[in-house]
Amino acid sequence: MTEPLLSVDNLRTYFSTEEGIVRAVDGISFDLAPGERRGVVGESGSGKSVTAMSIMGLIEPPAGEIVTGEILFRGQNLLSLGEDEMQDIRGGQIAMIFQDPMTALNPVYTVGDQLVETIVLHQDVSKTEAREIAIQALDDVQIPNAKEKLFDYPHQFSGGMRQRVMIAMGLSCNPELLIADEPTTALDVTTQAQIMDLMLQLADDRGTAVLLITHDLGVVAGFCDTVQVMYAGGIVEAGTADDIFYNPQHPYTWGLLGSMARLDAVQQDRLHSIAGTPPSVIDLPPGCRFRPRCAFATDICGRILPQLREAGNEGQTVACHHADEMDLKTLAVDSSDRIVKQDEVVS
Amino acid sequence: MLAYITRRLVYGLVTLLALSMVVFGLLQASGGGPLNRLRLNPRMQDLIQELTELWGLDKPVYQQYLTWLKNYVTPEEFGLQNAIPIVMVLAAVGGTFLIARYMKSHWKGGVILLMWVVAIIVSVANMNIEFNWGVSFQGGGSVWDLVFSRAGATFRLGFTALFLALLIGIPLGIYQAVRQYSFFDQLGTVGAFLMFSTPIFVVGIGLQIVLALYLEKWTGVKVFYVAGMNEPGYGDLSFWGQMKDTLQHLMLPAISIALISLAGYARFQRASMLEVLHSDYLRTAKAKGLPRRTIIVKHALRNALIPIVTLVSIDIAFIIGGAIITESIFGWPGLGSLYITAIDTVDYPLVMAIVMIIGIGIVIMNIVADIMYGVMDPRVRYE
Repeated sequence: MTEPLLSVDNLRTYFSTEEGIVRAVDGISFDLAPGERRGVVGESGSGKSVTAMSIMGLIEPPAGEIVTGEILFRGQNLLSLGEDEMQDIRGGQIAMIFQDPMTALNPVYTVGDQLVETIVLHQDVSKTEAREIAIQALDDVQIPNAKEKLFDYPHQFSGGMRQRVMIAMGLSCNPELLIADEPTTALDVTTQAQIMDLMLQLADDRGTAVLLITHDLGVVAGFCDTVQVMYAGGIVEAGTADDIFYNPQHPYTWGLLGSMARLDAVQQDRLHSIAGTPPSVIDLPPGCRFRPRCAFATDICGRILPQLREAGNEGQTVACHHADEMDLKTLAVDSSDRIVKQDEVVS
Repeated sequence: MLAYITRRLVYGLVTLLALSMVVFGLLQASGGGPLNRLRLNPRMQDLIQELTELWGLDKPVYQQYLTWLKNYVTPEEFGLQNAIPIVMVLAAVGGTFLIARYMKSHWKGGVILLMWVVAIIVSVANMNIEFNWGVSFQGGGSVWDLVFSRAGATFRLGFTALFLALLIGIPLGIYQAVRQYSFFDQLGTVGAFLMFSTPIFVVGIGLQIVLALYLEKWTGVKVFYVAGMNEPGYGDLSFWGQMKDTLQHLMLPAISIALISLAGYARFQRASMLEVLHSDYLRTAKAKGLPRRTIIVKHALRNALIPIVTLVSIDIAFIIGGAIITESIFGWPGLGSLYITAIDTVDYPLVMAIVMIIGIGIVIMNIVADIMYGVMDPRVRYE
């Protein structure tokens, strides 16, 4: 196995609020190989974005704080770097694309200004050369008349075009890792696929690894090599995209897949949902965090927090005490469209 | 944009017309009248009769108003020599529109716009126009001359105070926002509310007692004067002597006004900066790897200053009217103290002249504020 590009080890990021400490990310570990595309899926509040912000060093103390953990990027612990060294990595070696392109660009500077600024910052080029690179970058993301668009302000672009600009900005310095935090969520459905295709094509051309944060399983299925499923601040299951989609081991993953709208489902007229709501990450229940919503929960689940261990296919890991024993196929849907065990279905 | 400004000017004229009617009506309705004090003296009856006829006080109110309006807007002297400044103004306005239309960068456009504004002000200042704004009922001097003899003092005080308030208030607000909830921020907040809630006469008199009276008593050196604008014998002083004398008189009233308005600027700048600091595009700037300094100065400040422009423009409009209380406390010979005397003595022509100057100032500065908004923020478009 090759040396991982990014290796996150036991990362914990907590936020202090008036109600208590929010354990947004609570002890997650994963590796990312060079050029790998990894999907991070989970519900809102599962800690996906905070993971990304922690890697970028964008967690602002005193509100949020990385309490423990290591984030090794090419063998270097990002958490031990000074602000100056981190600035070189941000935008230069790790770039990030945000969810809402409508507000992610500074409204008072032209798109060209903002692109050139990034390029001059990370590459040893003059302003004129940077402008050439910027034009090329806009060309690459298929923005027509790139040369003229350089002088336009962000408000003169549509949402999809702005996200293209963000992608151009992110990739203009040829980063080794691109973190995309729900890059298409705020966009029109028709442009979503185009933008995804474009982003991943460009990342491929440059050999850039991608950490794609999304709650859209369809996007993950189409674009990612590996997937990690997050729930209430922890990773509950990780593996290749095929593992996750065809051989899910965790009841939560199964529930997520079941709640997806599918074109090939014939008789299904309503979407399933997972019973209950995610726990508040302020007062986490002891033991497994999914227990209150899980059909297989037993005593041990209430006492001990399950750690990731191998289960299912080779290389697939899952955080569940009963991963090997339970048969997810025995799950069924009851009259109120909730997922329960087959023998519990009341009709 | 030309259409926009024209429309705004027309609205402004309507506003001013309404303002003049309301104020004129209120003055008439307030009872008494300028000659009331004379009535106590039985030997003045002939004079009252004479003045009433001379000033047209016996005519119906609407007729008095129309006479006033006609005089107010008709230039008395208008020589041919004014042709040059007028042509200059027109050229400046036209040139500005051409530049605004063909400029790509908003900053360059803004700088040139500012240069044109200065050119217009200089041209207007050199114009030789005089209006017949009537005679003051007290003393009988020309209202026009009276107002312009006081305007310089008011401008000197007002703009010094504004300069001080901006110089301290804006950086203070920015610093507070950047170091939110730090000790300094809390201190600034408490200080600002303290300044805000202290009436200006307390600040003014306090400064007079401490910095003018006690400071001299303790040190034996005269640092600040209690009141007035210049000492007698000012004209005989050397240039530096005049400068020193001017500052010794000017600083106390200017600081009094500045202290209160800088509290407002600091609060406003802090709020506007905080909003920008929490915006998505600042997170983008940070994610690009920009140094903190660049993020604050280039990306945050430029956005956070936009709302301040409106505040400053409106403040300038009020400066034109003079600082009534401060001028009275410090015996400053400005428009504010003239205004308050005029109201006390029901001096219609003088009150109307000053009210209209304030009104014109507010209308023009509002338009200027809107144009500046468009210069600062590329999203703003004029329809």
